[in-house]
Amino acid sequence: MTETRVPRGGKVRLGVLDGDLRVERDADIEVDGKLAVSGRARFDGDADVRGNMECGSFRSEDGTVRVRGDLFVHEDLETRDGAVEVDGELKARRVDADRGLTVGGPATADQFEVGGRLEGAQTLTAQKVSVGGKFRLAGKLKAESVEAGGSVDLKEVELETLEVGGVVHLAGGVVRRSVEVGGTFSSDAPFEFGEIEVGGIAQFHAAAKGGNIEAGGMMTADGDLTFDDLEVGGLGTIGGNGQGRNVEVGGKFSVRGSLDLSGKLEVGGQISVGEALTGTTVEIGGKIEARRAVFTSTAEIGGAVATREGFKAARITLGRKSRASGPLVGGAVEIDTKAQAEDLYGDTVELGDKAEARRVFARRVILGEGASADQVVYTDTLELKSGATVRSAPQKVATLPTFPL
Amino acid sequence: MQNGSPGTPRRREVSDLYATVLEVVKRYHGAARITRISYGAGMPVDRLRNFVDRLLALGLLKSEELDGRPAYDLTPRGQEFLDTYWKMRGYIEVFDQPADPDERSSRRR
Repeated sequence: MTETRVPRGGKVRLGVLDGDLRVERDADIEVDGKLAVSGRARFDGDADVRGNMECGSFRSEDGTVRVRGDLFVHEDLETRDGAVEVDGELKARRVDADRGLTVGGPATADQFEVGGRLEGAQTLTAQKVSVGGKFRLAGKLKAESVEAGGSVDLKEVELETLEVGGVVHLAGGVVRRSVEVGGTFSSDAPFEFGEIEVGGIAQFHAAAKGGNIEAGGMMTADGDLTFDDLEVGGLGTIGGNGQGRNVEVGGKFSVRGSLDLSGKLEVGGQISVGEALTGTTVEIGGKIEARRAVFTSTAEIGGAVATREGFKAARITLGRKSRASGPLVGGAVEIDTKAQAEDLYGDTVELGDKAEARRVFARRVILGEGASADQVVYTDTLELKSGATVRSAPQKVATLPTFPL
Repeated sequence: MQNGSPGTPRRREVSDLYATVLEVVKRYHGAARITRISYGAGMPVDRLRNFVDRLLALGLLKSEELDGRPAYDLTPRGQEFLDTYWKMRGYIEVFDQPADPDERSSRRR
């Protein structure tokens, strides 16, 4: 096969070439229509191709090759210690660039593997994209898998998996299977995902919908958030409404709207819900606040509960020295030693030693040693242990008033 | 990540640089060469060699010959470092949030 050679610093005009092309450092190639190389094109150092180019394969070393038009490579594009800049469209089977790749038009390949920086001004379509450093794209990204070691700045995405070491910022779109980010993830527009795991911070600036969410440090959603299981190590915030199965938050969790769970809520610190909170079971280490909260099974509160309209569960346990403001409504309501509550409604209400309540309405009421209530209304039995007091005379009635919630 | 007043970029510390190197190595699944890590981490090769040597000594990286040249990969300890590092960075961000008086009064389990 013949080889056309462009000498170092040479300025030539080339068109259709049957065979290979070898270009030495600092060459300047004018293009006659299109530079079409039937074989391999090899560049040793910087070079400038002033037009469209097509070749069998493309390899460059130690420099930057700029193609001021489209670049179509039938097989592989490879650079060693070099970079490639394509002003127009790029098409190749496989792209492997050590230092960097910049594309002005749409980019298409089965695989992009870039060591340093990958930048695209339009769309990029691939099976796999792997970038060691930074990846920035101004158009839509469509791929099976995307990996980057450093940071990723994208617009709309349609991916199966996304795995990034540092920071991910994207406009929105869908990642059907998994998102795994070491540092920070943020999305600006509506975003759908299979599952997402973020070591540091996850930020959804618009509505987001998906499966499991795990954030080591912080998770914020400015709009509505729909999920399966949500696990946050530190701080969680939902600016709209939240809907999911289970929630586990180590620190503090705030929801501006309502939070509707089909499973369990566990919060180590405190949770604040602006509107209604629903679920099956709840365990709160610190404080729970909501307009109203309804759980179909058990509720264990270690610190405090504060609602405007009430807190309801089949069984409510308020821990030692804990506080409740707003009515508590349960099948069974247990207020532990030295805890303080307002109105209590239940089938059975039991106040521990030195616990205090304002009003108690129940079929069966037990006040522990030194416990006190302002008012007790009951239908079946009232048991007062030593030192227990009811400030107004206890009332035994045939029917209790209608419970809240 | 912020440190101090809002909008002030957090100064990169040595641990950040080690984490950056490890994250780049991780993307190559056992085939990370020094030049590729250099481009990915944005660090000159001579400086990077010191970081890599330290990470090897600490057992966070391992090296194997690939086509006659060393290639690097993350060890389970290296992955453990990254998991811990990012989690801690997340917590630090939480601490940087404005303090809430209610938060201080809440009791933790």
